[in-house]
Amino acid sequence: MTSFLYLAGLILLLTVAASLIRIHIGPTRAERMMSAQLIGTSGVGTVLLLAGAEGNGAMIDVALVLALLAAFAAVAFVKASSPDGAGDPEEDDR
Amino acid sequence: MTAAFVFDAMLCLLLVGTAVSAVAGRDLFASIAFFVTYGILIGLAWLRLGAVDVALAEAAIGAGLTGVLLIGAWSMLQRRCGDGGNDPAMPVLPKLAAAAVSVTVTGMLALAVLALPVGAPGLVPLVTENLSESGVGNPVTAVLLNFRAYDTLMESIVLLIALVAVWALTPKELWGGVPGLRQHARPDGVLATFGRLLPPLGLVVAVYVVWAGSEMPGGAFQAGTILAAVWLLVVMAGIAEEPRMSSRLLRLALVVGPAVFLGVGLVGAAFGSFLGLPVDFAKALILAIEFALTFSIAVTLALLVAGTPREGT
Repeated sequence: MTSFLYLAGLILLLTVAASLIRIHIGPTRAERMMSAQLIGTSGVGTVLLLAGAEGNGAMIDVALVLALLAAFAAVAFVKASSPDGAGDPEEDDR
Repeated sequence: MTAAFVFDAMLCLLLVGTAVSAVAGRDLFASIAFFVTYGILIGLAWLRLGAVDVALAEAAIGAGLTGVLLIGAWSMLQRRCGDGGNDPAMPVLPKLAAAAVSVTVTGMLALAVLALPVGAPGLVPLVTENLSESGVGNPVTAVLLNFRAYDTLMESIVLLIALVAVWALTPKELWGGVPGLRQHARPDGVLATFGRLLPPLGLVVAVYVVWAGSEMPGGAFQAGTILAAVWLLVVMAGIAEEPRMSSRLLRLALVVGPAVFLGVGLVGAAFGSFLGLPVDFAKALILAIEFALTFSIAVTLALLVAGTPREGT
């Protein structure tokens, strides 16, 4: 069972590798940002698999914190993409 | 066991690849994306090394604050120099100097690691032996808040000094103003909703992480980072503004953590040793220090990311 969890984690790491390639080629910034976000999601999954494999419940807290905060870089990115760097692209849709 | 080895090998490969891409990449934004990713992978590596406390700090700092800080800095650079924030005119000499400093630090760290005695248990038996006298069950918290409390005290003061250094960059006419850009968002938009939905959850998680810190991985620094990130989200969503730099309440919030820590230390000094905690009250005192520190660390980190005051206020 433990080996299975590590193998599942390995597969998630392979998806991380695929996302890294997307960060490298881009070409737009949104693609790079979305790949980084995808890696955040894979990271949460991998942490949970490690928690199961090593039988350490405290590791689940790491997944919790990661899941809570992983989207923050995307928020900063969206802010940076607005005209004055402090706005919200949705403001133009009225 | 082999599956774990293959996992570790893949993780190391990704870590080195991400680090090289972050440093060697030509596009600044791609480098930031790689660096954020690197933080997540380093967190996984700490978990594999059994350092859950460090992984927790890395998850909070790497995923929560570094991304916001770097993307904010990139956004400002882009507005000032154009060309995606990439500055082709950067002279070679500062680049070489930065590389030299980095290589020296890395070399010294490598030497320090190689100088560690191999196979020796270090201070682990000493900590385990005295854990029952520390008042807490998490050995990391016992070391940070009891056995080696003065390190943590100085770290909390260093954080404060870092903020003083950032504030020192404030132009004279803006002194005392509101830090950071004036943030605004569509009131009923996705960002504003997100900014209302997430902070209560973040608050609960932060309080949990401090409380859990006494018996299992967690603690003031991790929780303070979560609070800081959540507060930055509230500000970015245009729901609330950063307080003025000149606010007395803000200054008080900044120093309360180190002050409580120092106060407990001085009372300890009156009864025997500086920062010595009596066994009977150790847990209560550690929790008091941790909660006060969490608050101050959160305020300090949030203001560090916000930067100097905006113009035109």
